[in-house]
Amino acid sequence: MSATAPTAGTPALEIHGLEAGYGKIQVLWGIDLTVEAGSFVTVIGANGTGKTTLLRAVSGLVRGVHGSIRAFGQDLHGHSPARIVRAGIGHVPEGRQLFPLMTVAENLASGADYLPGAAREITRSRATVFELFPRLAERQLQLAGTLSGGEQQMLAIGRALMSRPRLLLVDEPSLGLAPSLTKAVFRALAEINRAGVTVVLVEQNVQRSLALADRAFVLENGRIVKQGRGSELLDDPAVREAYLSL
Amino acid sequence: MDPTLVLQGLVSGVLAAGLYALVSVGLALAIGVIGVINFAHGEFFMIGAFLAYQLFVSFGFDPLLSLIFVAPALFVIGAIVYRSTIRYVLEAPELNQMLLTFGLSIIFQNLALLIWGGDPRSISGVPYRSIGVQLGGISIGLVPLGSFVISLVLVLALYVGLARTRLGRAMRAVAQNRVGASLVGLEVDRIYLVAFALSALLAGIGGVMIAVIQSPTPTVGFAFTLKAFAIVVLAGLGNIRGILWASLAVAVSESMVATLVPNGDALRNAVFFAIIFIVLVGRAWRRA
Ligand SMILES: Nc1ncnc2c1ncn2[C@@H]1O[C@H](COP(=O)(O)OP(=O)(O)OP(=O)(O)O)[C@@H](O)[C@H]1O
Ligand SMILES: [Mg+2]
Repeated sequence: MSATAPTAGTPALEIHGLEAGYGKIQVLWGIDLTVEAGSFVTVIGANGTGKTTLLRAVSGLVRGVHGSIRAFGQDLHGHSPARIVRAGIGHVPEGRQLFPLMTVAENLASGADYLPGAAREITRSRATVFELFPRLAERQLQLAGTLSGGEQQMLAIGRALMSRPRLLLVDEPSLGLAPSLTKAVFRALAEINRAGVTVVLVEQNVQRSLALADRAFVLENGRIVKQGRGSELLDDPAVREAYLSL
Repeated sequence: MDPTLVLQGLVSGVLAAGLYALVSVGLALAIGVIGVINFAHGEFFMIGAFLAYQLFVSFGFDPLLSLIFVAPALFVIGAIVYRSTIRYVLEAPELNQMLLTFGLSIIFQNLALLIWGGDPRSISGVPYRSIGVQLGGISIGLVPLGSFVISLVLVLALYVGLARTRLGRAMRAVAQNRVGASLVGLEVDRIYLVAFALSALLAGIGGVMIAVIQSPTPTVGFAFTLKAFAIVVLAGLGNIRGILWASLAVAVSESMVATLVPNGDALRNAVFFAIIFIVLVGRAWRRA
């Protein structure tokens, strides 16, 4: 399966009436969401509202979803994660999901090895990742399981980038990071976006992610209750009260 | 104690260790990659033995030649077993998985009993079965030596394959993090299938060798399941070098008990229970 070329104006992600859950527990109740190609989008919301589930539904990790999910015009519904990553969608998942007994270099290589297109570009991709996170270059031979939390987060982002995604889903990269590292990770995400990758970021760090986002969605109990430009929501009194405790 | 007897026990143990390692790496592959505790592992071994026997009886195939047929046959049987049963219990509680594989083991034993009967079946006609060398009172049979070498080569091939090949890396990735593996583009279910089939293949090749070394019955697999579990418990998972050492320890202990203890042959299986018991209790102690 090869990804179809993005025609001008085709959204990177188009979700309609998405319902998803785990067994009998329904989490998402009819999500409609469009992400323009090249944009930086953030999804915010309280704990347990379904942000992670939303990203997992897009990348195929949650099965049995209803509704339609299209990326760059291509229908993703019911596809396996392995096929979805081939369609150009990278996912930096909650909990990082690295290979703990492999080295940093091996983890990075794994991001490209199983995708023919990405495998050809592996040298270039690696250079890009090391430019973004010089720390990873210094620790190539260290086992991923022994990295610090921040380094693991960089590696998770790096591994996803190795697949040369056109759309990158990122789930709470700042979790457990010191402010300086958080800043570095956000700077990297902005840089990735500037390079042409569409980014969908789920974050608890609402202040930073709204400031960065072209467009933001507020998720509450599995429904999108508000959306707008990032700066708009940043000034929205209700959002400020609920998520910035100001 | 007769030093020749001790040395003979040692040599026999070391030679047996190769086959034990071969069967154990297969079991470790199933447990490590898929996370399924397969009590039917020894039955793949048994099926390999009886297929070799049948090919010998029906077509006069030398066991070495029959490997060419038995190995792919076991791969296919392993794949079918995975596809039709194992994959449906992957999310089930561990107890259910164990019950399933235990049931599979009984079914395979009974099928073999139906087809081949309960008497030991031997490939007695191979010309090299009785060839051996005598070294100062110690005898080294060509067949045990050959099985040791073949086993070792296969275990090393697996080691290199897991470390160096794309498929090997994929298996390690799936073993270490299933979600991460699917996100880097691996079809996890397909890797599981290959790992399980490969595990059956390795056991089956071991079975071909036992068909020449011993005269197997349909229950021959059980003892090997037990041995493999003792070895994997001793070695820990994901550690082929550990399995080699553990196989050596287990096989030599068994051989020593069998040669040195009066009526020791009857105690063979007790050795494995003792090893499993000591290792688990020892670990619990260290942790406490
Ligand atoms: N594997 C699962 N099985 C059953 N329920 C689950 C599972 N994963 C998540 N849930 C439930 O689904 C709901 C949404 O979870 P989700 O992880 O999507 O929330 P979230 O918005 O990402 O929260 P957080 O900000 O804490 O990460 C929660 O109530 C959670 O308990
Ligand atoms: Mg979450």
